[in-house]
Amino acid sequence: MFKFDLSIPKEGRKRAWWIWIGILGILLAVGVFGAIRVFVKGLHVTGLSDQVPWGLWITQDLSSIATGAGAFTFSAIVYLFRIKKYQPIARAAVFVGFLGYTSAMLALAMDIGRPDRFWHPLVYWNVHSVLWEITWCVILYSIVLVLEFLPILLEGKYFDRWPNLRKYGDLIHKASPIFAAIGLVLSLLHQSSLGATYGVLSGRAIWYKPSLPVMFILSAIAGGISMTLLLTILVGKLNRRQIISRELQYDISRFAGYALLAYLYLKIWDWAATSYYSSSPGTTEALALLQSTTPYTRTFWWIEIVLGGIVPAIILLNANFRKNDRFTMLALGAIIAGVTVNRWNVTLSGLVAPPQWSPGVLGNLITVSYLPTWNEIIVSLGIIAYALLAFSFGIKYLPIYPKEKETVH
Amino acid sequence: MISKKGSSTKTNKKKSLVSRKEFLQIAGATGSAALVTQLITSGPLSPDAIQGIGERTHSEVGIAEHSWCMGIDLSKCIGCQYCLWACQATNDVPDDDMRWNVGHPERTESGTDFFMTRPCLHCEEAPCVKVCPVGATWSRKDGIVTMDYKRCIGCRYCEVACPYDVRRFNWEISKKENLYQPTWGSPEVERRSRGVVEKCTFCSHRIDRGLAQGLIPGIDREATPACVNICPVNARVFGDHNDPESPISIFVQNNETFRLREDFGTKPNVHYVRPEKEEV
Repeated sequence: MFKFDLSIPKEGRKRAWWIWIGILGILLAVGVFGAIRVFVKGLHVTGLSDQVPWGLWITQDLSSIATGAGAFTFSAIVYLFRIKKYQPIARAAVFVGFLGYTSAMLALAMDIGRPDRFWHPLVYWNVHSVLWEITWCVILYSIVLVLEFLPILLEGKYFDRWPNLRKYGDLIHKASPIFAAIGLVLSLLHQSSLGATYGVLSGRAIWYKPSLPVMFILSAIAGGISMTLLLTILVGKLNRRQIISRELQYDISRFAGYALLAYLYLKIWDWAATSYYSSSPGTTEALALLQSTTPYTRTFWWIEIVLGGIVPAIILLNANFRKNDRFTMLALGAIIAGVTVNRWNVTLSGLVAPPQWSPGVLGNLITVSYLPTWNEIIVSLGIIAYALLAFSFGIKYLPIYPKEKETVH
Repeated sequence: MISKKGSSTKTNKKKSLVSRKEFLQIAGATGSAALVTQLITSGPLSPDAIQGIGERTHSEVGIAEHSWCMGIDLSKCIGCQYCLWACQATNDVPDDDMRWNVGHPERTESGTDFFMTRPCLHCEEAPCVKVCPVGATWSRKDGIVTMDYKRCIGCRYCEVACPYDVRRFNWEISKKENLYQPTWGSPEVERRSRGVVEKCTFCSHRIDRGLAQGLIPGIDREATPACVNICPVNARVFGDHNDPESPISIFVQNNETFRLREDFGTKPNVHYVRPEKEEV
């Protein structure tokens, strides 16, 4: 058996903590600088164009929401279906979800041309737009996440001085089943609708299919569980303790494995039905173009299917592999990477191989290229740094995980 | 016992004109006043915004009895690009990358060279209209797909949805001098601000003003899109498809026309004649 030891000796801990916080702080500061530069100069400092108007930030937005899906999954399991054995990880799931959704909102605020008009979808309605529905769901669900997170925050040491406030926190906590129900409905809606964002566009053959919303929700469930569990195991390793019981860890690993399997099943059938057993002119054209001029066919098979799908599914569904923490963590990380790459591939594949509208033949073999600029990258890293900073402080100062009972050595 | 640090802040406090508490109160009051002002002047509580709640589109604009359509005869087009330039001058689009009307040299499968041009196709089932989360793009009753630049949030979903690449985003403030003015026309609409999407309007400002003056768009030049007026070989025609006598109705009647990628189900309102048309 591998011995997987990430823990830091006690003497070095304080220093390691400050180095970690320092690195994240610098990344955050650089990200803020990048964000200000975008606000001052406009979005032309990005690599985006009228042909590829969505890129890195939209990918980050979609991935953050997908990997934040553990919140609704575990809230529903624990508070709605009352499977209490998952309780120890529910708070972490809500916290990770909260960070995922706030990260997504930061990425979106960077991406839209008029962030000062973010409230327009609330006032000016177009009920025929999936993006309108998504905006409403994401805003409402973020309120649910805040309400679910508030009692945890109020339990923090800092709020000892306001015992009354904490009472309200307890009151809110009592309503958890209601929030879990609302959160489940809202999440099922917008997690799928994010796939529908692409799936409903009849003019873009690669995207236009009813399977996209379903693949988005399934991959979000797998990715959300993975993110929550991976961070939990990692925090445990760094603190030399087993945060959740090993049985529970195996249980959730297997759960992630099954969710992944469901996603893979649909994904393979989607591929087989649209590109293997049938061919429609638009799809075949676009896929051939992608295969000859971009790496997306390769990243689809190798990263999405093999590395982010089959390999972690085997690890997490095999009792012996699952007992090895190193394998488990690699598998969970691979799932997250697979989901993130999937969001990138979905977004970019439909854009870089645009539909041909000209009746001529000269323009038929052109793909549009997109590469994020350094400005986009530092802003994205800044948003990730924000999430990790908030997570680190949250773990240190808030009762996210159950109190220490056993320590592993 | 008071620490050294503590005592020094205490003396500082005495010296300052306003205490920290007062400062926070003033700052808080100013801040919330500013926020409230923002909310009721241009924010979600402004009269405009409240009036707009639940309002999906501006579809009451434009008269339903008309159906504006364009015809482009690719066999007539000589590729002079005047239509692109007249559009840029009239609608004040200084940047060539932002052209609403685009054109490029093309070749048919059988090897005939031609010049492919297109404005916005003003689809009957416009994907951009369906996807806009705020209804900033809408279909007028007379078929014109147009935009409210004050409502647009710049999410660019319309650019993603449009299969014909007719949408343009203002990536930066455009201060460029428009070199097409005054040779190819003078600006008739305001230049768009940074952060919003823009598009071809079939020169709806000319149509609306013309109709009010009793003119007939497609026949009277003042009421006809700039790209149609400028064409030296009459490759572009415009008019009301509901009127059987209009130039566009005659164009569709006399020619074998097609629309771009009808398989998308978008039902464009721009009709084309193939480049290798045989003269009858």
